[in-house]
Amino acid sequence: MQRWFLPLTVLTTVMFILAPIFIVQAPYESTMGLVQKIFYFHVPSALLLVLSPFVCGIASIRFLASRTPAADRVALAAAELTVLFGAITLATGPLWARKAWGVWWVWDAKLTMALLTWMIFVAYLMLRKYGGPGSERLAAGLGILGMANVPFVYKAADVWRTLHPQTSVVPTLPPVLAWVFWFAFAGFVMLYVLLLTSRVRVEAQRAEVDRLYLELEDSYS
Amino acid sequence: MRRFAATMALVAALLGGGAPAARAALQPADQPPLEGFVTATDDEGQEQLPAAPLVLTAYAFAWVAVLFYVWLTWKRLGQVEGELKALDKKTGAKP
Repeated sequence: MQRWFLPLTVLTTVMFILAPIFIVQAPYESTMGLVQKIFYFHVPSALLLVLSPFVCGIASIRFLASRTPAADRVALAAAELTVLFGAITLATGPLWARKAWGVWWVWDAKLTMALLTWMIFVAYLMLRKYGGPGSERLAAGLGILGMANVPFVYKAADVWRTLHPQTSVVPTLPPVLAWVFWFAFAGFVMLYVLLLTSRVRVEAQRAEVDRLYLELEDSYS
Repeated sequence: MRRFAATMALVAALLGGGAPAARAALQPADQPPLEGFVTATDDEGQEQLPAAPLVLTAYAFAWVAVLFYVWLTWKRLGQVEGELKALDKKTGAKP
């Protein structure tokens, strides 16, 4: 394990312990009140739903271009994390919408595109699990498709009419709300790096196990 | 012929009888409420959906999802490292 792993784990844990305290202390937003506090976990996980497909997509391009197994491991780990943070986004969003909009879900561009991206990465993982030998190349193509879908998710609220708030909300946050948001976001990014590193390590160890099995077979034959 | 006339009379009676009900259904919304309904006296805050359970559910879901994934990764890493150690022993002990 890398030397930075343990200090980063400690720092991330401390941040995730402090984040709820800061979120409780942050003032209410004027029109939505208490329910707006979902924002501090919903938006960081949504931003990771936007960033993680790029990690998967770029690693997939690298894998298809050079057949580097390390790139494939990064792509797989990033796809799993896209599904994780996508699930958090898609579960916390409707809980917020129920109070703010009066409905759990609307089939508007932003929400539908986010769901579609999440489903692409679920399909990626199913392909990796059940696709058999060679599925990693097909999955890499799916990872690139997922990455190509992301700009539409991000800009949907700005381009099409939708109930979802626009991307200008975050840059224009009042400072008293903004620092709590950026604190939570930093915690989520560090958590992402830790989980990605751990997941890549699992796959690297698996590859080593496979190599040793082959070596053992060769020595007995 | 008599049967047809009787049927038409019945249809006319039904339509004529249904007309007042249809008119009542089409009354505009600013009509006074029906007798028997009681005007709400509580403050409007009690009618609103409480936010606290939604916020708590959202945070609980996020925490459970993250902790589940951390546990899953930990378990996978433990399994594969155990397998690796066993294989290392085997390859070291082979003739």
